[in-house]
Amino acid sequence: MYRYDEFDQRFIDERVAQYREQTERYLAGELTDDQFLQLRLRNGLYIQRLAPMLRIAVPYGTLSSEQLRALADISRRYDKGYGHLTTRQNVQINWPALEVVPDILGDLARVRMHCIQTSGSCIRNVTTDQFAGVAADERVDARPYCEIVRQWSTQHPEFDWLPRKFKIAFNGAAADRAAIHVHDIGIRVDRAGDDIVFDFLVGGGLGRTPAIGSVIRTELPERHLLTYLEAIMRVYNRYGRRDNKYKARIKILVRAMTPEVFRDRVDAEWEHLKDGPSTLTREEIDRVLRCFEPPAYPRREDQTALLAERRLASPGFNAWVRNNVAPHKVPGYAVVTLSTKLTGVPPGDVSDVQMDAVADWADRYGFGELRIGHEQNFVLPDVPQEHLFELWEHADAHGLASANLGLLTDIVCCPGGDYCSLANAKSIPVAEAIQREFDDYDYLHDLGPIDLNISGCMNACGHHHVGHIGILGVDKKGAEFYQIALGGHAGDDASLGKILGPSFSRDEVTGVIGKILDVYVDKRVEEEPFLHCVRRIGIAPFKERVYASAG
Amino acid sequence: MPALVKGLRVVPDEWTLVGSGDVPDPVPERTILALEDWLPQRAALSGGRAGVWVEGDAEAEAVGPHVADLPLIAVHFPAFADGRGLSLGALLRTRYGFQGELRAYGDILPDLAQYLHRSGFDAFLLADRRSAEVAIASVGSITDHYQASVRQPVPAFRRR
Repeated sequence: MYRYDEFDQRFIDERVAQYREQTERYLAGELTDDQFLQLRLRNGLYIQRLAPMLRIAVPYGTLSSEQLRALADISRRYDKGYGHLTTRQNVQINWPALEVVPDILGDLARVRMHCIQTSGSCIRNVTTDQFAGVAADERVDARPYCEIVRQWSTQHPEFDWLPRKFKIAFNGAAADRAAIHVHDIGIRVDRAGDDIVFDFLVGGGLGRTPAIGSVIRTELPERHLLTYLEAIMRVYNRYGRRDNKYKARIKILVRAMTPEVFRDRVDAEWEHLKDGPSTLTREEIDRVLRCFEPPAYPRREDQTALLAERRLASPGFNAWVRNNVAPHKVPGYAVVTLSTKLTGVPPGDVSDVQMDAVADWADRYGFGELRIGHEQNFVLPDVPQEHLFELWEHADAHGLASANLGLLTDIVCCPGGDYCSLANAKSIPVAEAIQREFDDYDYLHDLGPIDLNISGCMNACGHHHVGHIGILGVDKKGAEFYQIALGGHAGDDASLGKILGPSFSRDEVTGVIGKILDVYVDKRVEEEPFLHCVRRIGIAPFKERVYASAG
Repeated sequence: MPALVKGLRVVPDEWTLVGSGDVPDPVPERTILALEDWLPQRAALSGGRAGVWVEGDAEAEAVGPHVADLPLIAVHFPAFADGRGLSLGALLRTRYGFQGELRAYGDILPDLAQYLHRSGFDAFLLADRRSAEVAIASVGSITDHYQASVRQPVPAFRRR
């Protein structure tokens, strides 16, 4: 992972002091609530329904065991011993007192962590594939480029006061696990001969006006990464709408201008910036690349035969390997996803004890590094196959071995009305009710891969538009209702879900999901996955079943 | 009382800004006129007697061609979180080579000063003396930044 030098460390230390001074001025009455709001948001501090919430940056979801232990410790000392893994690969803690946030930032800085630009109308944490560097289907490890963009976007003199929040994602694998089609900027990294090149998608996004990004540039050579980004940001900063926050994202600008005109504006701007001092140097790219060189993997035999034996003996282990263990690019190793989606626990919530345990496993069954995926799970990237059974037993004992990865109950869910002041409706109890209703693993496996996403409001933090089944909390005259959509998808052939019809009360939701699954089971052809089935037959048969019996 | 910071010091403000359409006759020395009022009179006002003000969302292309005739350009920030003026300032300095006083006024939070400074503004008008002092301190709160700026055109990675 990236190694801080004196420059990086001095920057975050000074940023802590800067924020401490801002907090002191606020507490002394020198800043109004509105003024301080903008300053604290740029440091990840929200004031939520119950108390403040602090969002800690985990750049592109990669962290060390030392950092995770520090997070566990912070959650113990400043929270109630819990952390929350977010859909942008970050970690949130609740209940930190405003006065002590500078101290928390100081603790974070000691382990090279920060909360810079984790909220507010600025460039947010850059995200990528949680399997980057180890995935068998990877073309290019995108993390070095994420780090270069992280540094470039940190307190950018021009682009820290944008019309609205701004999210950038990279993907360098065959499968898109970073949802680049629904980001403000999605960047596909590829090889062209010996060179690294980027394709740029702009104007994708979720929220109230979901949109799939448009390709505005293909095969941009790597040295131009920052100048081209600068050109896009300048066009957005100057022309993005600021009169209405619901129309302020870049997707609205791209749509209003048309992608072609937007591209031409960016190109015209880029003409001035291209080959300027921000052009990346070979030395800088190599300096960052060296931080992400693969560890020296001790040679190991492929253990498929041993695993097969264990899997036969233990159905629980078998299900876990099938769902939560992915192939590694090095023989004898595996990529393990530790699911936080245990029934009865809000998706993404982890205790201090679990964090400490995961940190220990990252050391014992890897090289002290781990990941957070946008599906709100932990990933151990370098587990020797021969230790999988042992790891599974530990994970099971800690409630982190739900074998539901990619299945219906691996729900992506925002904190919702239980915690968030923006929410129209609660989302966690809906997730829990669905997990309780559909708890039969054989049935879940028979249903196959289904992404179920829940957002408590139109801000779409639970990414409901790209759930195969998407649930959105809406407010109907003060009561909580839920709108259900089908057919969304965040991968390479991204699509946005279609709304089934009028919304349902919370009590009705699990019943409706049951009917949707029944239609799928009736109509599917052989091994046809849920998403393909919905795409083939459309939403009409689902609509008919759901509303016929409801009426 | 508003306090002007120029060159990272609190200094007296020698300029008078007048509203749009509000052109005194004759125009006294050191008057800041709306760009649209200055343009028709620019021949008469040559010699650096008058500056102009523009809104942060003004097109750099509208004011850029005239920078050689202007000793001062003031950019209005309607709200401190509106970053359009930062791009405008950077463009006037880097693309049009403006050398005169680039002044930010309006809703200027002291914490914005480091961004203004790095985007090429050398003067900011703050609400009062205390805010001006905080603004000056905030410019120095971070020793060095990662990316290139108007102040430091060489990004850190070329200096590491």
